[in-house]
Amino acid sequence: MAETKYIGKTIPSKEGARHATGRGLYTDDFTLPGMLHAVILRSPHAHARILKVDPQAAREPPGVFTVVTPEEIEKKTHPFKPGRYAAGLKKAIPEYAGAIGKVRYVGEPVAALAARTRGAAEDALELISVEYEPLPAVVDTAEAMRPTAPLLFEELGSNLAWKGSLHYGDVAAAFNQADKVVREHLKIHRYSSTPLEPFACIASFDAASKKLTVWVNAQVPEVIYDALREALGLEDVRVIIPDIGGGFGQKIHLIRKYVVLISLLAIESGRPVKWTEDRSEHMMAAGHSCAQEFDVEAAVKNDGTVLGLKFKEIDDVGGSISTLTIHFTNKLNNLSNTYRTKNIFLEGCSVVTNKCPVIPNRGIGKPGMCFIWERMMDRIAQELDLSPIEVRSINLVQPEEMPYTTPSGNIYDSGDYPALLKRALEKIGYEKLKAEQRREREQGRLLGIGVVIGVEPGGRNAARDMAIFPEMKESPGSGGVNGATIKIEKNGTVTLFLGSPNCGQSHETTTAQVAADILGVDPEHISTSTPFDSDLAPWGVAAANSGNNFHLYDIGAVHGAASRLREKILTLAAHVLNAKSEELAINAGVVQATGSPLKKISFAELGKIAYGNQALMPKGFEAGLQATFYYTFPHGEPNLVPGPEGLVRAQFTFSAGAHVAVVEVDKETGKVHVLRYLIVGDNGAVINPQVVNGQIYGSAAHGISVALGEGFVYNSDGQLLTLTLTDYGKSSTMETPRIEVEHRPSPSPFTTLGQKAAGEGAAIPSPAAIASAVEDALRPLGVRVRELPLSPEAVWKLMQEAVR
Amino acid sequence: MKETIKVTVNGRTYVEDVEPRLLLSHFLRETVGLTGTHVGCVIGECGACTVILNGKLVKSCLLFAVQADGKEILTVEGLAANGTLHPIQKAFVEGYGLQCGYCTPGMILAAYYLLGKNPDPTEEDIRKGLAGNLCMCTGYMQIVEAVKEAAKQLKKA
Ligand code: FES
Ligand code: FES
Repeated sequence: MAETKYIGKTIPSKEGARHATGRGLYTDDFTLPGMLHAVILRSPHAHARILKVDPQAAREPPGVFTVVTPEEIEKKTHPFKPGRYAAGLKKAIPEYAGAIGKVRYVGEPVAALAARTRGAAEDALELISVEYEPLPAVVDTAEAMRPTAPLLFEELGSNLAWKGSLHYGDVAAAFNQADKVVREHLKIHRYSSTPLEPFACIASFDAASKKLTVWVNAQVPEVIYDALREALGLEDVRVIIPDIGGGFGQKIHLIRKYVVLISLLAIESGRPVKWTEDRSEHMMAAGHSCAQEFDVEAAVKNDGTVLGLKFKEIDDVGGSISTLTIHFTNKLNNLSNTYRTKNIFLEGCSVVTNKCPVIPNRGIGKPGMCFIWERMMDRIAQELDLSPIEVRSINLVQPEEMPYTTPSGNIYDSGDYPALLKRALEKIGYEKLKAEQRREREQGRLLGIGVVIGVEPGGRNAARDMAIFPEMKESPGSGGVNGATIKIEKNGTVTLFLGSPNCGQSHETTTAQVAADILGVDPEHISTSTPFDSDLAPWGVAAANSGNNFHLYDIGAVHGAASRLREKILTLAAHVLNAKSEELAINAGVVQATGSPLKKISFAELGKIAYGNQALMPKGFEAGLQATFYYTFPHGEPNLVPGPEGLVRAQFTFSAGAHVAVVEVDKETGKVHVLRYLIVGDNGAVINPQVVNGQIYGSAAHGISVALGEGFVYNSDGQLLTLTLTDYGKSSTMETPRIEVEHRPSPSPFTTLGQKAAGEGAAIPSPAAIASAVEDALRPLGVRVRELPLSPEAVWKLMQEAVR
Repeated sequence: MKETIKVTVNGRTYVEDVEPRLLLSHFLRETVGLTGTHVGCVIGECGACTVILNGKLVKSCLLFAVQADGKEILTVEGLAANGTLHPIQKAFVEGYGLQCGYCTPGMILAAYYLLGKNPDPTEEDIRKGLAGNLCMCTGYMQIVEAVKEAAKQLKKA
């Protein structure tokens, strides 16, 4: 592939036309013959014992087919196998798809039923009677850790379900050599990504063959596969994943509970069953990101050099043990951010509370890690009376150090962090802005400029967890695998089978661009087989809208499959045209011998031969025109699994971005207005600029909205007060600022096309950028920003406290 | 206890017996079978279910199907003519005004309504016009740009 015609360019979105015409197909759009509708009965209590569930009255109405209660769930299903994020548990705690014996958060599923219509199902749901013995709710981590606190899981003997620590380098020495130790206490609140499409699932069980088929808007097919095997003992499972109305991590984990419950209803009723979650169910029970609290200390030299960093993290993980450590373990992914600090200590405490369980969410824990670093950089600058830019600059990993190995074993593939920072300052006009700020401050205006920088890791490596839980008996796997199949049909059309589902990241477009350049066809003539179907797709563990996997594994797989198919095409064409394959070129689906205008053959003609005319095939040629390729990252070593030093690569590629936020705080109301938001980003070699921009805009907008107040609020009884999107505070067009993006790519030397990740990206540094800018705006009042969200109320309080 | 209603959707008239509690959004999706009208909240917050009812922009989850009796509805499926995308649709596809596509039908109809009233909107007008439609994916940038582009194209036509 000498030159690229499509890679690197924006082409019209291939998914776009079906979505713009209303022909996208989402799970809830499907109807099967005889299909029933399910609804879920949920706990109204944050913490209660389930004394009795009487489903009798609900079974009576004629439209009702099946009701499942905790008793039946316990009898007919098995608990999920404790996964990697429960690895640190002192004692295995069985977790079923529904609550057994006790409820531990408002909205926890207790029972489920299926009826002819959704209306009939909802009516019948009210007839299930449940007797609860309410227990005191634990909603605060400090309270939860008191010895007298009510226990969520009696078996654990404490609500502190896990505690562990790691260190790299010589932390004690770093603190001994420091000129100063800078300390801070920081907090991030609970939020989520609230995809516009709630969870949905259809299950259909064929009792004769014992095959279960589910249609579900899950981001990771493997999670559903494993869940159905573990909970229902089913091996023969087909997972079909139609268009997904947004995921962001939200549809990875807790969705499995509902797939199991709906499948159980389908098995019991002998009918296909559909379930669609409603918005308030989603808000209370589909998963939240973790509220995190950090005690941080930085050992610094007078010039701003950070010799060492220590932090202790307390995670409010909610009422489940299955994702206990997910926000802490992910700290290893960007533990060093963009900095050279060699000595790092981190400690994690996972505290269970009577709130919604925590789940992966755009960046999982990484926004917290970036927040720690970037808040500390500002604090160090203040305490040493240096500029925040200077302090960052002196600590940045330098371009000539790339590839750079971080103290925990991550290998930063490429990047020029100083250049990103420099360009961001130039582009925003930093000096001029600072001057303006000084002038305007005199007029009483509260203007602030926040400058931060962060990495965005991509790819997966579950072996990371072995560094955190050395007692792990079974390896959670290492690296990632995903495949792709590409074929030319008999009539010359090109079809692509991807190994992953897609929840809005334009996988069909981007992969078509790659395949088009390799095969010499127009991407318009490549169609992608949808929906994702586990029976057909060449999928592996990295078949996931998670961990920024797509850029690495799917692109690698499509590139591999298309290259293989190209070889086949050339072999067959060379034979038929009586030419050497080196003299052949492919253009617009026609293979042409250079210099002999008459020697040419189209894909359709080749297809006719490959699928139906043995006499024209070369000897030993495998008939057909298709190829499959499974990709693993060829540069996975070193540090693929932790060695004796515990060094491990948590992810494999490292994008980065410098963010600048310019804000104005309204003195009267505390409302923060974002006047400008700029990102200078390195996402490696970009395959489709508009796709990458879209990911950056979307993730930045989310991070900004989070910082400015979007989030979940519980009262002291553990009742969720933010059951609607309005109460939750999701930003609309009116609150979301324009986001300026400039690319300064440093191609990865390790990936197929030099590409790196773009997806979670801007959600990682943006909360820190807003915090930095708001603190800068409030500097005349001496305010320190330690906590998110910076809702008008919170900012107003900060101002009041400062004035007092 | 069903009621018979007569509703015209995208130029075709449907006479259907419906339960009084059936929401217009669900009537469109399940009874008429046009699943381009999406549902993200059922309480009027997200705009995924936006349609045009007798020329007015409405959230179809806030209406019962019986309230549409005798009225005319335009859904996203009624915009493209014989496979040719409406300029607004085209601008969304070419300018990446969509990612997962779930908000897209509602966004496009809100933009259609806006440009019908105000063919020459400022960015502020566009943002106001789309304020009732949430998008969790895009950060709105490319949506706003797509509407600007569509306005340009519509004026040319
Ligand atoms: S579904 Fe109607 S506004 Fe959300
Ligand atoms: S494109 Fe996904 S909600 Fe807007």
